[in-house]
Amino acid sequence: MSDDQVRAMVTLAVPVETAFEVFTGQIDQWWRRGPRFRHSGTSHGMVHLEPRVGGRVFESIRDETNGGRTQERVFEVGHVRVWDPPHRLEFSWRNVNFTADEITEVVVEFERLAPESTRVTVTHRGWSALRADHPARHGHATAAFLRMMGLWWGDQLTSLRHCGGRPRGLV
Amino acid sequence: MDRHGVSSRAQAVDTALAALADPTRRAVVEALSGSDRSAGDIARHVAMSPAALSRHLKLLRAVGVVQERISDDDARVRLYRLNTAALAPLAGWLEQIERMWGEQLSSFKSHAEAVHRRRTGP
Repeated sequence: MSDDQVRAMVTLAVPVETAFEVFTGQIDQWWRRGPRFRHSGTSHGMVHLEPRVGGRVFESIRDETNGGRTQERVFEVGHVRVWDPPHRLEFSWRNVNFTADEITEVVVEFERLAPESTRVTVTHRGWSALRADHPARHGHATAAFLRMMGLWWGDQLTSLRHCGGRPRGLV
Repeated sequence: MDRHGVSSRAQAVDTALAALADPTRRAVVEALSGSDRSAGDIARHVAMSPAALSRHLKLLRAVGVVQERISDDDARVRLYRLNTAALAPLAGWLEQIERMWGEQLSSFKSHAEAVHRRRTGP
């Protein structure tokens, strides 16, 4: 079992400085909308990333109450761990119903390929840190925890698929 | 997928994961990922007495994660094999996260390139 990570990559026709600045400073504008990507689903929510080590990554949602007043809910995703513009950004990633120690990590690397060409790589890692964990430790096996375990198993299966040919008709 | 919806696929994932939430049972699956093994062989691999192991094997068999078969060499020996089909729904999770980031990055690319074009002008 080598990797315990998910990786996605894109090359864009902008300078590396612009890529970093837009990724962090305009995150709400490009972060996809809808229930698959945001807690707010279809209601009004904003994604924020505070530009410094220790800064929060969170989503704020404004709700209209019956009395016509608005109230704000905040879903914190994690904190910035590495802030190194325009090259690297790291933040912790913790879904809303994970317990305190169920934390994964997102690493975003910005690589200058040419003056106006940048490769951005997102590595979402740390799933295996949960491997030794037992749900009983948390008193309950939440759906979220099970989902994370699912990722670990997905990873196991991916490796199996890669190293053994396709043993026994594996997915 | 609706975050709150319960599909039969999600239930299949949860059933398999509940079975695998136990470290011993995960060790069993790891032991079986290389080759089929007898119960005694698995017990040695996970450093557990065959008696203590048997309830774990029973549960894994009940949810379909492992299956029993007769050894090709000796009809008296029963081997356990991993039923990867039962684990297939789990493999989908990793791909979902990968897809999520892929979609985010393509959205980011469109937005950042539009910003850059506006700044540099025609």
